[in-house]
Amino acid sequence: MIAENNISNLSIKESVIEIKNLKKAFNGNTILKDINLNVKKSENVVVLGKSGIGKSVLIKCIIGLIQQDSGSLKVFGKEVSEMNKKELNTLRTKVGFIFQGNALYDSMTVRENLEFPLRRNKIHKNSIDIEGLIVEALESVNLLDAIDKMPSELSGGMKKRIGVARTLILKPEIILYDEPTTGLDPLTSREISNLILEIQTKSKASSIIITHDLNCAKLASNRMLILHSGEFYAEGSFNELKNSDDEFVRAFFKTE
Amino acid sequence: MLNIKKIFRKQNNQIEPNSENSYFDNFLLELGGLSHFTLQFFRELFRPPFEHREFLRQAYKIGLSTLPLIGITAFIMGLVLTLQSKPVMAEFGAESWLPGMVSVSIVREIGPVITALICAGKIGSGIGAELGSMRVTEQIDAMEVSGTNPVNYLVVTRVLATTFMIPILVVYADFISFYGSYVAINLHDYMSLRLFVNLAFDPLHYFDLIPATIKTFFFGFAIGLIGCYKGYFSENGTEGVGKAANSAVVISSLVIFIIDLIAVQLAELSSKFFV
Repeated sequence: MIAENNISNLSIKESVIEIKNLKKAFNGNTILKDINLNVKKSENVVVLGKSGIGKSVLIKCIIGLIQQDSGSLKVFGKEVSEMNKKELNTLRTKVGFIFQGNALYDSMTVRENLEFPLRRNKIHKNSIDIEGLIVEALESVNLLDAIDKMPSELSGGMKKRIGVARTLILKPEIILYDEPTTGLDPLTSREISNLILEIQTKSKASSIIITHDLNCAKLASNRMLILHSGEFYAEGSFNELKNSDDEFVRAFFKTE
Repeated sequence: MLNIKKIFRKQNNQIEPNSENSYFDNFLLELGGLSHFTLQFFRELFRPPFEHREFLRQAYKIGLSTLPLIGITAFIMGLVLTLQSKPVMAEFGAESWLPGMVSVSIVREIGPVITALICAGKIGSGIGAELGSMRVTEQIDAMEVSGTNPVNYLVVTRVLATTFMIPILVVYADFISFYGSYVAINLHDYMSLRLFVNLAFDPLHYFDLIPATIKTFFFGFAIGLIGCYKGYFSENGTEGVGKAANSAVVISSLVIFIIDLIAVQLAELSSKFFV
């Protein structure tokens, strides 16, 4: 349990994400009722919860893809809802988002997928620099061989890792994972979970991981939260929640 | 009551015209959404980075994919128009005017409108489906979260490509139709190509060519913009992609006729003013 040992160090670190009383409803249906969350620098937070409970909505609010109805949501100390387009784009280069369905651009090769955010954000103008970063990102996910392949030629696990590489290429300080191991076999899931842990160790990035995969949660989390009825119902380490007295919390771990 | 703010919130993909609103409300929401999207297009048009490579790729794709279909349709169009008109012209002893009549009809009206309608079906639905599937597979969201503006990369390039490619395709269709007409005349009679060209081009004036060419740019703009708009805001999974492609064709076909109507009226007015 490498990740759990870091919890005490995290408490003294600064918060990179601060959420207070966040609310979000769709067509009168309240999804997020009262969300309060602080994520510290280099911390991996796992959010568990039933399907359709609003976990993905929460991380989409953090990146500004969905706007909250009320409450405060600060990333690096700045209120996301008050940011203009330019500030939001700058924030988005610092916050990586890994989609559940990978969201690789299917008309582009792997190289072009990785090149796209660099070229569009004009982070590196020199093509040699860009090539170097692409190679580095692909090596970090062990997929350098796939550089000239199209997304349709890749397996589910490979697509997921390319999605991670595309996010890592911008060297984000926060990474939001939307069900990173869903639809993958146990071995590939473990590879992805190890990769998440490796990213935290190497790049010191903070992460919020939305998952149903308890093995992934166990391996990658410093702290876990259970989302229920629009609020965080329980919080603690993997073992604390697993051994909780609350029946609802224990129900999540019954497959373990 | 219709909330006009909804229109502007649509850019966040949160509001869609729905069955709870009346038809008129939905129409206004669509119109407002499309107007806002058009403004966004013009804002992004002059904002760097300029995606020359993607623009050329789209132009090449649009041109190449429609070339055979437009060629065959235009050839048949010229052939049938000539064969149908021939007996009537013969009755008035005006068979020699046949190439001229066909060329004026094709250049002024049939060529641009039929080509634009084919392109609305082929290109408009293609763009609607492509952007729609990019929306439902979160590829557009992925562009946004990487700090890039999807409108600049996806919409500007496609709309510019259709705006510049449709006029070229119309000119191509006009020439193929002329050839179809020439073949039709020579099916039963004989007319040399030189004579046909002289008779076909003689009645054509700048006032036939210029308004007909200008309106094709608007046709192209409408096809690209409506296709992008429907695809960009598509939702509800694969069903939404199908709806986006379908409504892109229906709306752009309707808009083509409206633009044509306005163009004809304006051409009529300007011909009175200048001639």
